[in-house]
Amino acid sequence: MKKLLIALSLIFGVTSAYAGTNIDGSVQSRCTVETDTPGTYGNPNAYTLTTLPASSGQVPIVRFDVSLANAYYAQISYPTSFSSSPSLGDSTTWTGAVTIAQTSSSDMSGYQAASTTPSTSMRQYALTVAGTTWFAATSIATYGGGQNKAFPGGSYSAVVVAQCIAQ
Amino acid sequence: MYRSVILSILLCSNVLAHEMTPTYPKWQVTYIEGVQKATMKMVNRRVDVEWYEISVFDESWKPIPFVLHSTGTTSYKLLKIDYLGHRKFDVYINEKDSERAEYLCSTSKIRGDDSNKPMIESKICSRFK
Repeated sequence: MKKLLIALSLIFGVTSAYAGTNIDGSVQSRCTVETDTPGTYGNPNAYTLTTLPASSGQVPIVRFDVSLANAYYAQISYPTSFSSSPSLGDSTTWTGAVTIAQTSSSDMSGYQAASTTPSTSMRQYALTVAGTTWFAATSIATYGGGQNKAFPGGSYSAVVVAQCIAQ
Repeated sequence: MYRSVILSILLCSNVLAHEMTPTYPKWQVTYIEGVQKATMKMVNRRVDVEWYEISVFDESWKPIPFVLHSTGTTSYKLLKIDYLGHRKFDVYINEKDSERAEYLCSTSKIRGDDSNKPMIESKICSRFK
């Protein structure tokens, strides 16, 4: 049973990991965007939702696999709005950060410092090294237009945008 | 035993992926005069997504009109790809528009599920060079 589980995990691990080499041995340029960890909002008080683990949240992690260097930009943003039902009567303040959680190569150590910011919530990284990069998008939403009002009942959806744009 | 199960879960967890190739497509001539097409391929390994929106943009990210052709497409430029499925599709465009077309993108269409989780919208853009 143990051997079977390990064998299955290796098979699925290899097939789900990115395969960059074609059958003829050539390497085709491609980018794969993967949801590594979906993320969850914790609710430390009535007016805050956060992905921070200290508040029972989970930070979403997105994985980018590229087969060739200098072919793609990665753009990741943390959420800046809720799609909600019923709609929210007051405004929500968003704060957050996009950071590199892990890289498959030490050659990527300069990514964090070299990133640029197309917008307040989004960061752009030139993927200058072939391999895998894991990005974390932390977000905190505070409701009530600065008056810390409790979130009303309903369902909320927030979106992390993960883009791989050809250079 | 428990370590094996945890290892299995960890290694099997990376299956929510979106991929589109080629990175640098080329416009090709068609049998229709004044119309060109680009052929793309997509793979859907996101279990939470089955529809992708296809878009074409110019250098300033302004949308450019086009026609999408593949099985399972709709007039709303949406492409249905089942989990672990792959699909080839053609993008048809006016020859004059093809000169200013810069990016061809696929964007995952996600649905809220009331689960109190941030959803991840993945977008991959190929570039005409």
